[in-house]
Amino acid sequence: MAGQLAMSPARVFAGFTPVLLALLAVVLVNLPVTFTGGVMPAPILALIPIYFWVLVRPDLMPPAAVLITGIAEDLLSGGPPGIWATGFLAAYAVTNRYREFFAGLSDLAAVIGFAAAVFAAASAAYGLVSLLFWRMAPLSPLLLEAVVTVAFYPLVAPVVAFIHRHIVGALRGDD
Amino acid sequence: MTAISWRITRGRGSATTQLPLAVCVVLALVIALLGRAEASIFDNARAKLTDWASPALSEIRGPLATVEDWVGGFRDLFRIQDMNTQLARENAELRKWQNVAIALDRRLKRYEQLLNAVPDPTLPSTTARIIGQSNRPFVKTLVLNAGTKNGIKKGQAVYDDRGLIGRIFLAGKKASWVILLSDLNSRVPAIIQPSNRRAILSGDNGNSPLLELDMGDMPVHAGDRVVSSGDGGVVPPDLPIGVVVEEGGELRVALFANPDLSDFVQIIDYSAPRPPSERQVLLEPPPATVAVKPPAAAVAPRASAGPAPGAPLSPATPSIPETPAPSQAHIPADETVFATQAPPPVVEETIIPRRTASTPARVASTVGLQREER
Repeated sequence: MAGQLAMSPARVFAGFTPVLLALLAVVLVNLPVTFTGGVMPAPILALIPIYFWVLVRPDLMPPAAVLITGIAEDLLSGGPPGIWATGFLAAYAVTNRYREFFAGLSDLAAVIGFAAAVFAAASAAYGLVSLLFWRMAPLSPLLLEAVVTVAFYPLVAPVVAFIHRHIVGALRGDD
Repeated sequence: MTAISWRITRGRGSATTQLPLAVCVVLALVIALLGRAEASIFDNARAKLTDWASPALSEIRGPLATVEDWVGGFRDLFRIQDMNTQLARENAELRKWQNVAIALDRRLKRYEQLLNAVPDPTLPSTTARIIGQSNRPFVKTLVLNAGTKNGIKKGQAVYDDRGLIGRIFLAGKKASWVILLSDLNSRVPAIIQPSNRRAILSGDNGNSPLLELDMGDMPVHAGDRVVSSGDGGVVPPDLPIGVVVEEGGELRVALFANPDLSDFVQIIDYSAPRPPSERQVLLEPPPATVAVKPPAAAVAPRASAGPAPGAPLSPATPSIPETPAPSQAHIPADETVFATQAPPPVVEETIIPRRTASTPARVASTVGLQREER
């Protein structure tokens, strides 16, 4: 037990890596650039590390980390504060609730599992925006962003898995 | 495709030992409500963050914009024929309108001379570069590389050479945020031409903002031009915004400006003249009065303040300048000027506001012409 409590700097860094990666994803998608002339929105990239680590190691992606990531997304995107913070927490809640089910999915089913988490986040954000502004925001931009996010999952998830296996796991001596 | 399946690590700690989910959700909701009720808290944090990041954003904007242009150009390759035809047609149309505009401009200047109209002073404006853009489902904003140290203030109108883009909603020291017309939070009073019907341009994060008409009964048709009305004194009047389109039974506005295609924008320093408050009127001494041939009875009580008409000026009397101030030069010689206190006040400054309501029309017409010349 005492050995487990001893925290080396490398282990601490490894512990913070998931949150840092989620924050990096937030920064990346909010860079002042659009390669599609504004036709296609940027994906909600931070949901991928959140979803991954909630499935694989929920102790490395606690609700507080998800909240901080969501607040960062709200601040950097220039949107109303608290919207994506709530959305990310909704995705966390759904993923954590059905963790065993989602983790058992593979290939296309895994992508559909992630789509369910994105749907939860988007629904919560949309509901909150509609309540706060007391009007229904158009659904199509949000749907498009959700689709783009899900499309990015097969590309980004292996990178996140690689980082987990070779950096987070290696530094923490887990795997 | 790489197999995507994750092995759950069991018994390696649980998130339940951390800050509980319910507490975090409550915190997020409190932030959302607080952000709606007291936006300045988050706006200040956002302004500081943007100020801090603005040098880096400016630096990376250059190379990224080149990549953007390259990608955009590659996409345009597929429709270059259509674009060429469309541009040739537009060019012919614009040349025709350019001639009309030049003729009308000359005629307007002649009318202004004939009517001795007060010329429109140039509106001060600042040119800024777009260093950031957010096109998300619940927000459409731009980040500019100019802030309060460049004279940028919250509420100022932002436009490019096509038309109104939005207005400043957050000004940091070195950077500022623009809320686009299509943003969910955007409300801009507008006038539809030629019916002169007033409306509110209401963003809903779609591409074309909604047009909420007033109670008037003048008909509004698709294709009508929409300009800013200047109501509220935030956005100058007569700035071109777009044309009315009908989508699904709703009237919307197809915007002239396209922030995706803009690199530089202009920020107009405009504030509508405000009428003096009742308190100001009571407390402040009255300005100089221009009296045209006052009756003798009305002049007598003021003998201590000024000489009687026709009496020679003595050194003890408040000085009336021998050479009238430029603003008073139009007063005919046979009129009597009463100064209620020294120094002689400038009459016109107290009567004619520096910026008349027609002032922005000059900007608007300039913008329109630039657009047509293109």
